[in-house]
Amino acid sequence: MSGFLTRRILYGLMLMLGVVVLNFLLIRLAPGDPAVVIAGEMGGATEEMLESIREEYGLNEPVLVQLGIYLGNVIRGDLGESFFFNQPVAGLIAQRIGPTILLVITAQLLSILLGVFLGVLAARKPGGLMSAFVSVFATIGYAVPVFWTGIMLIILFASVFPIFPVEGMASVKLRDAPWYVQWADIAHHLILPAFTLAIIYLAQYARLSRASMLEVLGSDYIRTARAKGAAERTVLFRHALRNAALPILTVAGLQFGNLISGALLVETVFNWPGMGRLAFDSILRRDYPTIMGVLFFASAMVVVANILTDLSYRLADPRLRGRT
Amino acid sequence: MSLLEIEDLRVTFSTRHGVVTALDGVSLSLEAGETLAVVGESGCGKSITALSTMGLIPMPPGRIAGGAIRLAGEDLTRASDARLRAMRGAEIAMIFQEPMTSLNPVFTVGHQIAEAILLHQTVSRDQAWRDAVALLDRVGIPSPDARARDYPHQLSGGMRQRVMIAMAVSCRPKVLIADEPTTALDVTVQAQIFDLLNEIQHDFGAAVLLITHDMGAVSEMADRVAVMYAGRVIETGQADDVLDHSRHPYTQGLIDCIPSVDHGGALREIPGVVPPLHLLGAGCAFAERCDHARDQCRSAKPGLRETGGHLAACHGAAEGWL
Repeated sequence: MSGFLTRRILYGLMLMLGVVVLNFLLIRLAPGDPAVVIAGEMGGATEEMLESIREEYGLNEPVLVQLGIYLGNVIRGDLGESFFFNQPVAGLIAQRIGPTILLVITAQLLSILLGVFLGVLAARKPGGLMSAFVSVFATIGYAVPVFWTGIMLIILFASVFPIFPVEGMASVKLRDAPWYVQWADIAHHLILPAFTLAIIYLAQYARLSRASMLEVLGSDYIRTARAKGAAERTVLFRHALRNAALPILTVAGLQFGNLISGALLVETVFNWPGMGRLAFDSILRRDYPTIMGVLFFASAMVVVANILTDLSYRLADPRLRGRT
Repeated sequence: MSLLEIEDLRVTFSTRHGVVTALDGVSLSLEAGETLAVVGESGCGKSITALSTMGLIPMPPGRIAGGAIRLAGEDLTRASDARLRAMRGAEIAMIFQEPMTSLNPVFTVGHQIAEAILLHQTVSRDQAWRDAVALLDRVGIPSPDARARDYPHQLSGGMRQRVMIAMAVSCRPKVLIADEPTTALDVTVQAQIFDLLNEIQHDFGAAVLLITHDMGAVSEMADRVAVMYAGRVIETGQADDVLDHSRHPYTQGLIDCIPSVDHGGALREIPGVVPPLHLLGAGCAFAERCDHARDQCRSAKPGLRETGGHLAACHGAAEGWL
């Protein structure tokens, strides 16, 4: 078990290294010169000023030398300084990673719990009304782009039923309230963005768990459970769901990366103060160190999520334990 | 009154070919402590009979279209779902054909046996676990303490079937249904499982309904036998009487199929296959495969009639031209 974990963590670190190198090269392949953008912020510049900016930020070196310097810094824990904010990238991200993790984890839990619940209900009667509803809902949820859902929800809850805040993460007027009031306020702000982000995945999990449950419900050990006299709820949620969980876990692990990129859009639509907003701004400004830093943390989150997925497999299925 | 009485049971299924009759007036009875073997080829309705008794026919597409299943006088076809759940596993328990797939892969075998106990008895979890270990010991599993913590994939097929038997007898059921309990096991293990079933029946005093296609198993286990074909019982009586003096050509065919060192040469078979249920005509369902069939056999279904000490459903046997 610990051997398995060590190996997975080593793979994860190697993967991160590959991701950093690829990101570095890809960003430099994209058109646009950060020196021009920085100069533009200062109100225009001559060729000599651009040259001195390039000199100052180390943009004159050959790309591979720049990569070497960057990797050396990253290994020492230094993600560099933002061209635009003139602050250490690590600090910028530290301010914003919390809200992103909160949003992504809430959306992930919401989509899995609700999706699996709907899927199980649908699988109970494959020809029934619930089953048809899940199929239709899954198709719509899958087809609708996340920014559109976000905008529709904003319209619905900003003007038609103004019960949820549609912007930001906390109310300014509650800045001095006790902590539990502030937490409740954050939860209130979280509902719409989390639901927007969750809805695509919720639909997928519903469809997937319906299919997975239908397969499991036809198996011999389910008949055995019924023959023991187990109640239908026990059969569904204990005997069947544990077995149907593996494909759901697989997809949940794979989808985590997509969820983070979805968070970028949702944060932009709802003005959620997370990493997505930071990524969006820094891409527009060719702020290389910040983009790299955001991507570094996003890929770290994906790698951690995948390790957790592998661990949860072993919890769910005893046949996988003892394998490395 | 018999312990278990199945009377004129009709079960139908809605299929693409319309409604087919899987059981067409099946009557069986089982006395306390005895073993009744239900014999026939695949698709003859023997498993459907067992599942109907357990109330485990998926409905829809299945439907009990008529008849009764009486357990100590109580008609199970009219019982509520809650009553059926309370009955299943406690009063009638079942051992299935496929030990490899009949145990849940994500729970330990001890847990699965303890669950059966906890469903029907008011005992503590610890007590249920201790009972489960004792049952594993009783069905001949070595170091039951350790094996109880094993998952099904860590046990062999024979071991898993022993676990299934332990689970089935955990609440001392009055009726134990064994649906081809040895089909998936190799021959030496088959003999051990039959021996175990005999012992368990002796210890626990359960009546056994043994579903099988193996006439060898019948002679080893059964007091009485019912031979089924295409959803009907076609011959029934004391096991040795039916085996030694079978009257129905189909039963004779099954007995001739028992491989024997005396026969020498090739294994025998009954030519043809069981007709699809939706294509059954008005006559005897076996007529197409029967060497002795006459016009009468193709136009009228024979009923069960007393012939030579037991019941057989054959025009020829009843009228003496066979």
